[in-house]
Amino acid sequence: MLSLQRNVALGALALTIALAVLGAFVPEWILYTCALVLAKGLVVLGLCLLLRMNLVSFGQGLYYCAGAYICGLVSQMGISDAFFLTFLAALGSAVVGLILGLFLSGYRSVFFAMFNLALSMILYGVLLKSISLGGSDGVGVAAPTYLGYAPDGEMRLYVFFVFALAVAGASSVFAFLYTKSEMGLASASVKDCEIRLEYLGLSVRYLIIFNFVIASTLAGIGGALVAMVSGHIIPELAYWTTSGEFVFITVLSGPNGILSAFGATAVFETIRLVAGQNMPNSWQMLLGSFLLLSILFMPNGISGLFRRAKAPKPDAVGEGINND
Amino acid sequence: MSNASKVASETMSADQSMLTLDNLDVAIDSTPILRAVSLQLRKGEMVSLVGRNGAGKTTTLRAIMGLLPLQAGSIRLGNNIISNEPAHRRVDLGIGYMPEDRRLIPRYSVEENILMSSWMGGNKRNRDRLDEVYTLIPELKGFAQRQALSLSGGQQKLVALGRALLAGRDVLLLDEPFEGVAPALVQRINEIMSELSSRSDRTVLVSDSSISEGNSFYDRHVFIERGQISDFPAGH
Repeated sequence: MLSLQRNVALGALALTIALAVLGAFVPEWILYTCALVLAKGLVVLGLCLLLRMNLVSFGQGLYYCAGAYICGLVSQMGISDAFFLTFLAALGSAVVGLILGLFLSGYRSVFFAMFNLALSMILYGVLLKSISLGGSDGVGVAAPTYLGYAPDGEMRLYVFFVFALAVAGASSVFAFLYTKSEMGLASASVKDCEIRLEYLGLSVRYLIIFNFVIASTLAGIGGALVAMVSGHIIPELAYWTTSGEFVFITVLSGPNGILSAFGATAVFETIRLVAGQNMPNSWQMLLGSFLLLSILFMPNGISGLFRRAKAPKPDAVGEGINND
Repeated sequence: MSNASKVASETMSADQSMLTLDNLDVAIDSTPILRAVSLQLRKGEMVSLVGRNGAGKTTTLRAIMGLLPLQAGSIRLGNNIISNEPAHRRVDLGIGYMPEDRRLIPRYSVEENILMSSWMGGNKRNRDRLDEVYTLIPELKGFAQRQALSLSGGQQKLVALGRALLAGRDVLLLDEPFEGVAPALVQRINEIMSELSSRSDRTVLVSDSSISEGNSFYDRHVFIERGQISDFPAGH
């Protein structure tokens, strides 16, 4: 386990450094899109953890928005350190996730999905009507600083990109090791049979709350990143179409990957960017067709493509399992 | 503690009821299944619960485990009433359960399946009993690292037994361990049960559809018929 931890951490570090170096040579619009992908990919990563338990949240925008507003509003008070703001957003969304998770953990399937949606729409409504929080215009976010270092001009976006890479890299390592841990294994077995876990001494409710808090924390971190890179936060971050987008990307990613969460986000953003420019009035149609095709031809998402190549099919291994 | 008083306390704890069912009523979808079921199991006792299909054997075990709500009555473990505890807490308190269907997780290794009850909370110490499980069922060690789905049905039954042993510190509930099992494996499970009854002081309740010959390891049989328990088979 220790060597696994070391290998994964080293691999992630190498990938992060490689991407950071690569980032120095690409035009600003690509860098901006990449920062956006890293931010949204974190939200998707959290949704993947929930999807492993067969839970889909149609309101993940709530925690994304909460993280963004915590970051934005605190930055309005003159605190601009990116590390501190991200930490605060993570903490705040974790607390929100814990409180709502206590309530939501009693629900499954469509009720779980729709309660999340309802809660996120309540936040949207509140933000829309709160003049002190900027109302529908939202709030500007000050340019972030990094432990006292305040980049300016062209460096500003690049330094943020490196920061976002580091945050996403660290979160991915954590998420990967978590899925391999006993808690992660226990969580992934919730979807097959809840009663089994109960008579083996594992509380399903506790597992759901635990994963829900991790997912909302990741969404909050993603929200903070998006607030800092776009320099502006608006209530639409909690709107249901934002959450729907995350679910869309999660389906595209499939539940079992870590890198695939970011890969799927990159694919999504690229299609939207290209389609939005070339067919501004019908780009949703293109996205829809793309999702349809990907569900038809890769039912386990991008992560399923790699998994299938690695692992033999269950019935090829032995006598199969008679485990209804 | 002097030897004499140690013996005395052991005798006392042996007489003490480990698991007590007191007038349990259980209904599933408002159909009454168990009616005023009472049963006392002493520490270290191995008891078979014999009854036909539909008599209420599985329901009794599931009620003890907390998987079915009680309409009336109470369940005690030692001196503590546990009927209000959720199922996963009852594992904390030392009860292990082996369901009739094996319910392993196909993609996880055999050892991971056995260790499941030690994955969370206060149960981490269950891990210390892994060696005991391997001593009682040595064949498990042979395929510990294989995925559960690659085992035969009989091997899976042994894994489920090992998993229940790890979870059940004080009490073991085995639901029809001999059902749908090849004769050779019935023999093997019998051996494991004999060894368990001589080596361990767990209280074991085993459900079975008939009294099988040669199962001398049982301390006694109780009979269940239409949701009611008696010390004699139906018709006596």
